[in-house]
This record gives sequence, C-alpha cells and structure tokens, in this order.
Amino acid sequence: MPVIGVPTEELRRRVGDEVQGEKLLDVLGNLGCDVEGFATLRRPQCNRCGFIMELAGQEDVPPQCANCGTDLRDVDGAITELDPLEVVRMELLAVRPDMFDPAGLARAIRGVLDLDVGPVEYQVEGVAAKLRVDPSVRRPESLRPHIACAVIEGVNLDHDSIKSLMKLQENLHWALGRNRKHASIGVYDLDSWDGSLEFEYTTEPPDYAFVPLGAEAGETPWSLERILEEHPKGTAYRNLLDGFDRYPVLRTQGGQVLSMPPIINSEKTKVHLGTRRFFIDVTGSGARIVQRTLSILATSILEYHHGSKLRAVELIDATDPDDAGSTRTLTTPDLTPQEMEIDADRTARLLGVEMSASDLQHRMLQMRHGASLGKGSNVKVLVPAFRNDILHERDLMEDAAIAYGYANIVPTRVETVTTGKELPTTTAAGAVRDVLVGMGYLEILTLTLTSHELSDGLLGLGAHPQTVIVGNPISQEQTQLRTSLLSGLLHTFARNRHNALPQRIFEVGEVSFLAPESETGALETLHFAFGSIAPKVGFADVRAEAESLLRDLGIGLRLERADVPFLIPGRGAYLLTEDGRRLGVFGEVHPAVLERLGLQNPAVLLEALVPTKEVPGVYRSLA
Amino acid sequence: MSRTLTPEEAQVLQALDEGRRVTVADLANELGIDQAKISAAAIGLGGDELIRVEEEEYAEWVLKEEAAGALKSGTPERRILLALLDHNGSGSMAEVPGWAGLEPKVVGQSLRGLADRGWVEKKGKDLEVTDQGRAERDVKGPDEQLIELLDRLGGAALESSIVLTDGGEAGIAPDDLERAKALIGKKSPFVERKTRVHRWLSATDAGAKLRAKGVEATREVSQLTPELLSSGEWRNVKFKPYDINLDTEPFQVGKRHPLQRVIESTRQVFIEMGFEEAVSPYVESGFWDFDALFQPQDHPAREMQDTFYMESPSRTELPDAGLVDAVRATHETGGDTGSVGWRYKWDTEKARQTVLRTHTTATTIRELAKNPNGPRKIFSIGRVFRRETIDYKHLPIFFQVDGIIIDKTASFSSLLGTLAAFYERMGFEKFTFRPGFFPYTEPSVEVFIWHEEKQDWFEMGGSGIFRPEVTEPLGCTEPVLAWGLGLDRLAMLLHDRSDIRDLYISDLEWLRTEPRCR
Repeated sequence: MPVIGVPTEELRRRVGDEVQGEKLLDVLGNLGCDVEGFATLRRPQCNRCGFIMELAGQEDVPPQCANCGTDLRDVDGAITELDPLEVVRMELLAVRPDMFDPAGLARAIRGVLDLDVGPVEYQVEGVAAKLRVDPSVRRPESLRPHIACAVIEGVNLDHDSIKSLMKLQENLHWALGRNRKHASIGVYDLDSWDGSLEFEYTTEPPDYAFVPLGAEAGETPWSLERILEEHPKGTAYRNLLDGFDRYPVLRTQGGQVLSMPPIINSEKTKVHLGTRRFFIDVTGSGARIVQRTLSILATSILEYHHGSKLRAVELIDATDPDDAGSTRTLTTPDLTPQEMEIDADRTARLLGVEMSASDLQHRMLQMRHGASLGKGSNVKVLVPAFRNDILHERDLMEDAAIAYGYANIVPTRVETVTTGKELPTTTAAGAVRDVLVGMGYLEILTLTLTSHELSDGLLGLGAHPQTVIVGNPISQEQTQLRTSLLSGLLHTFARNRHNALPQRIFEVGEVSFLAPESETGALETLHFAFGSIAPKVGFADVRAEAESLLRDLGIGLRLERADVPFLIPGRGAYLLTEDGRRLGVFGEVHPAVLERLGLQNPAVLLEALVPTKEVPGVYRSLA
Repeated sequence: MSRTLTPEEAQVLQALDEGRRVTVADLANELGIDQAKISAAAIGLGGDELIRVEEEEYAEWVLKEEAAGALKSGTPERRILLALLDHNGSGSMAEVPGWAGLEPKVVGQSLRGLADRGWVEKKGKDLEVTDQGRAERDVKGPDEQLIELLDRLGGAALESSIVLTDGGEAGIAPDDLERAKALIGKKSPFVERKTRVHRWLSATDAGAKLRAKGVEATREVSQLTPELLSSGEWRNVKFKPYDINLDTEPFQVGKRHPLQRVIESTRQVFIEMGFEEAVSPYVESGFWDFDALFQPQDHPAREMQDTFYMESPSRTELPDAGLVDAVRATHETGGDTGSVGWRYKWDTEKARQTVLRTHTTATTIRELAKNPNGPRKIFSIGRVFRRETIDYKHLPIFFQVDGIIIDKTASFSSLLGTLAAFYERMGFEKFTFRPGFFPYTEPSVEVFIWHEEKQDWFEMGGSGIFRPEVTEPLGCTEPVLAWGLGLDRLAMLLHDRSDIRDLYISDLEWLRTEPRCR
C-alpha cells in the first residue's frame, strides 16, 4: 500500500481545532485508516513545471523532476524550496478513494464526529460541453472504449491545491485505475485554447504529433510514437498500449490535443496557478469504473474548492455502459445516489448491539448517506456516488458499526458448546516431537521453498519426478517445494559451523509431491528428520536412536540396506514397516556431501514419515 | 577441633593408648593398613601435634642371592686357601684358579680379602699360605659365621637381634660382628647391611584428650561411588566442596522451536474453545484461494508479483459445476445474494490456476463448503506463501492461524470476544479493534495488541464476518465469523526478535539458550 501524507493544516481548517494530535489519530484509526503518525516534509518545487516534491527527513532532491523530467541538480534555480509541511502519514485506504484527499477525508470525519451529518448535495448545473466518441476507440482489442467527462468552474488555485489535485489523481490512478489500466484521468485548463467546448475522443496513427507535458516543441515533432519511446510517462505506461497501431487521442474539434490517454496530457493545456475552469476526462475499460472515478474526483474537487460549480458534458455516440457493442448519448457526471435498504433488526443481530431503526438511520447519516425510515425496522438509504465500496446491505452494516464505534461494541462469546479436536497428524507429530526432545534434539524450522541445487542436488540426487515447481519464483533459491527435510538439516549444520559440537537437531514438517489424482494436483506428507554432527558419531549411534524412537512409536525395527549417494556406502539403511513398505532412511552422511557444505565433522541423518494409523504412507523422498 | 580426621588418622590415634609407643611398621601390621597410609596419617596428626613422631635409625642384615654358592662351596677366600693347602701351600696365579675352580678374575678380586684375613701372602707371581692360614684351615671366619647365621634365620635379621650380649647360641659376638663388618666391607656379593629409620608414634596430651573424647573419622571424597553407598561408608566421608561459581560445560538440551511452541499454544487455546482442526494442501486453486472468497480476478493480491503461481501442477480441477456457477454469478452480478457483484466477466481459467495458498482461509473456506451448517467451529494452522523478497521483515513463507465459527447466534461482538479471549490466553492484556477492509469479510476488523515493553501497538491480523457473497454460494445462511492471524509476528514479540529470519534460518545457540517464554 502506498503511504500518503495528508496536510494537517488542511484538515484542521476543515474539521476544526479540537480534532488535532492524538485525537486526530484516533478518529482516523476508528475510520479504518492505518495511521503511521505525524511527519514534517520538505517541499522543493520544480520551477519548470511547478511540480512539488515532498521529501521526508534527509531525503535528497531527486536528480530529475518526476513530472517533467527536468534535470534538477545541475541547473541553478531549477527548484524553489516551499515552506515545510506537517502531514499525517497513513496507508492509502484503497476501498475508500473518497477519503484520499484532505477535503474528502474531512467530509468523512465531520460525519462520524456528528459535526455534519447526511449527504452533501452536489449539483450538476447543466451541460457545459460536448464530446463526440469516435467508433475507432471501440476496436476489439481496445482497453479504453469508455469515457466520462465533466467541467468544473470557479476554482482558485495555489501551489498546495495544485499539489493536492495531482496527488489525488495519482492515488485514484493507483487504487481505482490499477495503475491507469482500468481508468486514467486527465485534468485540463479549459481556458488554455481557443474557447472551443466541443471535443472528440478518437484514435490516431503513431506519427500524429503534439507537445506533451514537460516537453518543448523543438525541431523534431513529438509524434505519439516518440512520446512512448522518449517521454518518462511514455516509457512508464506504454505497455498499456502494446499491440496497437493507433493510439487514443482526446482533442477539441478545433484540433487542440488535450491528451493521449492513458499516457500524457499536452503541455499547452496544463493546469496552472491561473486556471479557473477544469475540463476533466476519465477513460478506461469499464463504464462503471470510469464513471465512478469521475464522480469521486469531481466531488472531491467541489469539496476542496468551496464555491466551485460542477457542469456536465454530453457524450455523443458514447459506448453504451450496458452494451459495449452499441452506442448512445450520455451525460456525465452522473451523481445519482444508489438506492438501498438496510434492516435495523438484522443489523443489530449481526453486530451484537442494540440498534433501533432511528439509531440506524442516524448512523447512516453520520456516514454521509441519505437515510429515511421505511416500514418497521427498514431504513432506506441513498448511497452517494462517491462511494465505491457498497455492494450489499452488509456493507452498510459495516458503515453502521464504524459510526457506532468498534470500541463501543462489548465483546461477547458464542454460547453454543462444541467439542474441540486436533487432527490425527497433529497428535502423531506431537508424539514424534516428544520422543526427539527426550532424546536431546533441538527443533528447527526451515523454509519450505527451496531449489533442486540446494536440496536433492546437494544430496547428489537427480530432480525428484514429483517435484512441485513454482512458475514465478522470486529467487533462484526458491523454485520448488521441498521433497525432503534432509537438506534443511544439513544447511542448518553448515550455518552453525561457528557453534559448539555436538549439534543435534530435528524438524517435523510437510514435504510436497505432485499428486495427479488429487484435486489440486499436489499433496503434502508429514515427515520428520533428525541429525547429529560431532567429532565422533556414526552409524551405530543413529541406528540405536532409530530403534529407540520407533519402539516409542510402537514400530519394530526392520531394515534394508540403502545405497543412496548421500550416505557412505554400506552405512545407510531404509526403515521398513512390518509389511515391507519403506518408512524412511538413515545413515552416515557421505564425506562428499559434508565437503560440499564445508563441514569438517562426521554427521548422521534420519528422515521418515510421521507414522499415523490413518495414513499408511510410503517414504517417497528418494523415488 | 577445627579439623575432621581421615579414617586412617582416627585409627592411628585410637591405637595409641596412654603411654604406648609403637612403630609405624608394627602399627601397620596391627591395623592391617598399608604403611604408606599410616605414615601419611602420622604426618597429618603430627602436624596438628596430636601425636609425637620420633625417628630411630636401625640396621638390618640381608643375604644376597649369590650367598647360596658360598654357603654350599665356601667363600672364594676359603676355596683359594684350601686349594693352596692341597698343593703344599703354594701356587702361581696361573695355577690357583684351576685348582680352586674359580674364574681368574675372582681369584684376583679375592687377594685383598685373603690378605685381610692373613691367610695368604703374595710373593712375586706366587701365592703362599701363611701360618695363620694353615692354623685357620678349619676355623670359620666371622664373615662366614654371619652368612651362615643369616641363612639359618631365613636370609635376613635385624642387627640388634643377632648380636650376642650374654653369650647365647644363635648369634654373633659383638667383636666378631665388628670383624665381619670389616672383612665384608661396603660391597659384598653375599650380604648387605641396610640402615633404616623407625618412626615411633605416641600420643601427645592433646591427642590423648581428643582420643578420650572419642575420635570421629571422616574421609574426604570428590565423588560418591556405588562402593561408598553399598558399604555405608558414605556416612564416614566428607564430600569435597565445589566452587559453585565455576563454569561448567553447556548442557545440550533438546527442546521445541519457539515458533512451534507458539503454534502449539495457539492450537491448544482453540481446541479448548471447542474448535476442530483442519488442514488443506499448499498448492491451491485460484478458485478456493480467491474466487470462493469473492476476491475479484483483477484484485492486486492475485497479481504475479504478489502470489506464487505454479509451473507444475499447472492447472487444477474445479468443484462441481453448480458451485462454480454460483460463484461466477456472484462475482458478475451478485447472483442471488442481494449484492450487485463486481460487474466483470468471470474467467473459469483463472479459477483453475494453481497457486501456493496465500492464506489458510483457503482451508477454512473449504471446510465451510464441505459442511455449511452450524454450529461448527473450525481452525487451521499452517504455512502460507507470499511472493516477498527475504529481508528482516519479510519471508515468502509464514505461519497463520485461521478460524471460523458458523453459528446462528454469532455476531460481530462475539467475534471481538473470541479474538480477545485468544490474545488474553496468549498473554496479552490489552488489545484494540480497528476497522479493516478485506474483500471477503464485512464488517472487517484488524486486531492490534499492546506490547508493554515496547510501548506500542502491533497489528496481528484481519478478521470479520464472511460476506453473504462468500457464504451463500456455498449454501451457508448463518453468520460465519472468520479470522486469519499471523503467528510469526506473535512469536517475534514473545521472544523479542526483530528479524523474522531468525525463526527459520536459526542460530542453534539462540535456540539452545532461548527461554521458553520471556
């Protein structure tokens, strides 16, 4: 989860002086925010594009502006240090994008603190612009057939509000857009071109050119292809357009390019201190996510910029949200709340608290829903368009619980009596542990992921035919699940060469094999293994211990000579059950294996199945 | 009395009656104890002035082995005298050995003795018997008498016992002894005079007083032996005290791993609360790990960078079509659950993908599907896998405990109460519950426990009530409380470890010395 810093001054302005310090951290925690604490950030600003960086502690200014790519270190006057900023740092709460910025967060805090309850009525005041959707954006492989737009008028910008808007955009890209894959946002200065309010969303071939954000016109035109290859945002996101021979372009009917979704906006249309009107677009793969993203962004901006006005955009020939194959005219944004119902009795029962219908109604209002009493215990709820996480009545019950306060719920216990029971394998493994601890062995735990080289390879064995193999390993040392516990013991000896001898260790744990007959194709078997390393230890020691251990587990000692590469020839044996199945193997470790690990003392090992009555297994590690 | 006596010391003191004076040798005979031990005891007692030790020198005559020949055929001097007398009292040095049956060398060595006795004179190369020699032809010399006497007395005798003082029989007159000594000289092949020292022991006043009080013997031993026990002698011994602060060899203990003990405590708590244990495979289908839990197929947790996907086995079976269709419908439209669903196209192939299970909720959801009717309480403890690079905070594998309660009366408050009971039993007194957000539970809660020493809250895991979108497709209509809690972090807190690798890549010295609990 990305960590965000919400300016405390912004919050204070919006929620009041009393919600500060520990009290603020508490309120945020009770809303479900994962709060790290307060921090003060340094804020160098790029003089070229106005981008404000936020640096914690001793962090250095980055070599290049993350926004426009300007070299910041070698150019005098490339940055201006703004006043430092106190923030409260917390993990981005992905399910609540409406709380990503200080304005949205304050809206939620004022609700739970009963400072402001009920829905905020955001008005969409008439159509301000028109946009025509070209059929070419609906080609089958297109990731972005859907678009939603809005106009916001009457904003007053300063560095902080521009920064806040950029961060909100970035976080929405991450949380809702899945890094721009599902949805990407563009915000433009509506007064930066000839005043045209007619737009089109279309596609263009790679040689189509415009000057992208942070770039200069220069002699070589910025073709779409060049943007993808050279611009920092192009290289960062070009994978989203892989396989296309035409790229999405948003422009005015007069030909002024606004952006190349989902990559980059144009330099000319960028938002600056003097911007008074925004044009906003969201493009993406799904109608719902595109519309929801626009609603959240637009309402957060309205909340941030008091007195600003939201206006609609008419989308002609837009991709039908319910049928991506056909078109219709849409008007966005659509802030119609979602109508839902919640039952107070069911809510009270599920939460284990007393809650009447009117109590519940109030809890809903605290969470900024519209709420009115219905029949009996029913409450009718209007979920605002900026909530992205309400799929079911149950989600509203959680809202009710949050407004009620988790700390106010009295912990109880389910009174129904049931009988506890452990698994037979647990009992059997416990018996093995008891015996081995009694014999003076120290238990170890090792990682279940390994590689052939570190496990069977170390033992001089070929790859086990039933190896469970990872498709996307994170390192060359963890490419498979272990098929034996023996190498774990040996590696532990190797890592403990500096410690006193003798060393006597054991492990009880699962090994995994392919099992084509099983549902998921692989199954675990519970094994145990023990080993000793000491200047004087040999076959007779491990044989005596094997006999003693098996006797304790109620198994007689039956042996068969084992010629395996990791044991000294003539000094290895298989343990057999009465009916002749192999139960395990033990013996004196071959000096070649010891040498591979840099071990300078003899060692003995034993590995076997954890015997249970229910599972008459066979020791398969050496198959 | 500051000092305890050894048994030998006690015996010696006990034997020294008032006025008695006895040698070490005699006392050794009397007590049946080795002389060396009596001597040691005497030195010890003497040092404490409990006894007087007086030394007296004495001589002992001992026959040597070679004396046997002389006793049979006479001394070389006697044989040379007789041989010369047989040849008219005179003969050359070349002839005499033959006549006497002696080596020429022995004859040469005897010349001095013959002269001392006054038997033979040497004239040029000839030896001639003197008058005295002729006179003493049949008279035993004092040396010969001594040898014969010693032979009769068994080969050895104290000098004091063989000197005749009043002309008795079995002895030698003092003059003769002196002459014999002179004739034998310092080196005789036949006899030897050894001088020795007698130690005479007698009690001092202090010793007598102690003896009168009664002597207690204590032997000092370092080790209790079976002999000491069987003889009862342990009662008379003193055990040498040890320096209790002296370092000893470290003991090689056998014990369970700290994390394993946390696992076992966890299991015990849940069993006591009436939970049945369950288990499921490491390799899991996308269906059970994610889809059945209403995690949308484009959820970030399902991405390749967070989850291990399998090369082999590469594809799993799915459960029966009815269940798969119900899950599909729930994802796409909410199905019959009253939900609006995630509104995307659900892909069967993604559900068939094989992953290393990312949580043991895969285990409990399988149990729920097997039997969705309460009341049931299930728990599972096992390893789970996340695609993390190894560092001090992260491992790709860790242990989780998952639990579910299926019960008509279950509620969010009983969920909080169950979690509180668990952490109380694990030794934590203070905990708090904060809203959490998970795709499969609603309401959701994160559990934090307070660590007194560290003065901080620690997040332990997530829990909640399974969403209807999870339970209803499985045929379950009762509330299902669910949680998944990390055990590694709990073990690290309980054992004050800051590096998670210590648990799995262990230093044996740490395992050996780490207390069971802090």
